[in-house]
Amino acid sequence: MDQNKKKNLLETFDAKLNRVMRMYLDTCSRCGMCVEACHVYASMPEIKNTAVFRAEVIRKLFKRYFKTQGKIWRSLGDSTTFSDNIVDNIYDAAYSCTGCRRCTVYCPFGIDTQMIMSIAKLLLIEADREPKVLTMLADMSIQKGKADEATRENFATAVSKLETEVIEKWRKTGGEEVVPLDVQDANVLYVALAGKHSIIPAAAIMNAAGEKWSLSYYEAVNFGAFVGNPQKTKEISQRIIDEAIRLKVKEVSICECGTAYRVMRHQMGELPFKVVSFVETIARYLKHGRIKLDKSKISGRLTYHDPCQLARNGGVIEDARYIISHLTDEFVEMTPNREYNWCCGGGGGLVAIGEKEFRMKSAKVKAEQVKATETKILSTACENCHTQLTDLVGFYELGMDVKFLSSLIADALVQ
Amino acid sequence: MIDYYFIMVPMVYLAFAVFFIGILFQILKLLTTPRQLTTLQIFPAKKPSWLYILADTFLLPTVRKHKPVLWVFLMLYHIAFLLLIFGHIELISDIRIFQIIPHEVFLGKGFVGVTLTVCLTYLLFRRFKSPYREISVPEDFFLLILLLFTVLSGGHMNWAANWSEYGFDISIEDYREYLSSMISLKPAIPEMIADSPHQIIMVLHIFFANLFLIFFPFSKIMHSFFALPLNKLRRG
Repeated sequence: MDQNKKKNLLETFDAKLNRVMRMYLDTCSRCGMCVEACHVYASMPEIKNTAVFRAEVIRKLFKRYFKTQGKIWRSLGDSTTFSDNIVDNIYDAAYSCTGCRRCTVYCPFGIDTQMIMSIAKLLLIEADREPKVLTMLADMSIQKGKADEATRENFATAVSKLETEVIEKWRKTGGEEVVPLDVQDANVLYVALAGKHSIIPAAAIMNAAGEKWSLSYYEAVNFGAFVGNPQKTKEISQRIIDEAIRLKVKEVSICECGTAYRVMRHQMGELPFKVVSFVETIARYLKHGRIKLDKSKISGRLTYHDPCQLARNGGVIEDARYIISHLTDEFVEMTPNREYNWCCGGGGGLVAIGEKEFRMKSAKVKAEQVKATETKILSTACENCHTQLTDLVGFYELGMDVKFLSSLIADALVQ
Repeated sequence: MIDYYFIMVPMVYLAFAVFFIGILFQILKLLTTPRQLTTLQIFPAKKPSWLYILADTFLLPTVRKHKPVLWVFLMLYHIAFLLLIFGHIELISDIRIFQIIPHEVFLGKGFVGVTLTVCLTYLLFRRFKSPYREISVPEDFFLLILLLFTVLSGGHMNWAANWSEYGFDISIEDYREYLSSMISLKPAIPEMIADSPHQIIMVLHIFFANLFLIFFPFSKIMHSFFALPLNKLRRG
């Protein structure tokens, strides 16, 4: 590896070293508590599949270039220098980690492997080795933010075609729009994904609740976060923030997408509006009696998968259970659940990249956990999880229906 | 006769200087780097968070839950370590608050040292086993072996004094005389120590302890300072 490339990698590394990151890198005592926390290790017990091993790939570089110890006595901490081989290791570490932060729960210090992997992901971008599809998707999102009126008109036409399907789920009365766009002073700006499955049920629910809402022009998903590019992450979120400010909405409700929710809710700083997950929006409608559900619409036992970014990392945990208590009396918790729930195995960009063989093998423990619930319906509230769980159900022949909470709710609305 | 003056005087000053300046430097370095602006909390949040932060830091609940045997050894190890720090402070002078449980220096009549030895042996042998062997780096073994040597040599003096029918010829008063002279920056090695045929054990103890102190700021033992702020981040 040439000196110039090394220099650029070091500058990238240095830029990520804030106070917390330095402590994360200094503190690990390699106690091994995190070993069994990782679903990849639980499914494929090899040392490279542990949180500590992944973090050590970065930590060994940190020691060599930023620590007195690594400069004076290199072999003591097994420190390493940048090389092409190390870049391969960085890739394997970063893209075998879904950033679920289950290991953070296990660590006696609370070391956040996802944070350490954010160095890895940024180094890969600098080395031009990141999964190109993620950068491409992130750029497309950013480009859409700069789109002109024509694109907006196309979007409006496409959305208007969904109206019949929304009305099938909830008969809208009055002359209002079924899927409203550009509603000034709306109570809720709903940010969906590029797919009608993410728009139709939500529209039916909000119409049923008599909400003054508006559909965002932009999709919630943040590929900038998946590829670990802080600048792109911000630009992608900023499109939605600008729209929310322009419309003067009270609340931005993020569709069932864990990463989009966590980025907007916890990583964008103070915003002039409230950020909630659509799960919280539904729970509120139920609490206030704005929608009513018919439990007879669901037959068979149902379980719920806590999406990592929504639950453990986002704080939306009990609202999902509250919603489910209105949907069915045959709810079965997974074991373990809540902050201890196993990751689906599709996070951190893995679903978007493809990687199906790895995703299926590394989530064996998830498939076993799901199977043990002996349920008919597997519900969740995250697009990534939904895709991954659907793949898992097929691969491991679990014979279950994977459903979004919003879709279950929309089907159970009392007319 | 070999003169142990270098290890017992200049190296001790050097070790403490490196220890304090090193830690101070590390902390100043952290304080001058930018803060993390967004939360790194793990949910669900539990209240009062300060209580959970303290519990996470000092009682290691995640280890207790998932690795109960390791937890017993870790808790015993850290408590014994703390008691020995107190014991060494009492070698400088009597501290009234430490006498809540009335005792002669050291508290525990040698059993604290035994506990520490057993725990260190467990922690060391644990690292020889997979998967801990593969995640360990030389530093992990180096520190455990260094501490084991320190505890064994220090323990030897205490165990001989407590349990041997002949006792140990260097007394608490001799240690105090030596340490007081060091603290008052008029270093002198008392005759009882210099003339003792067992001086070598004390010199070894001091030598290993010096290495430990010198190494401390540049090692993972800095977790003793970072465990609290990091647990605070997790609790939000």
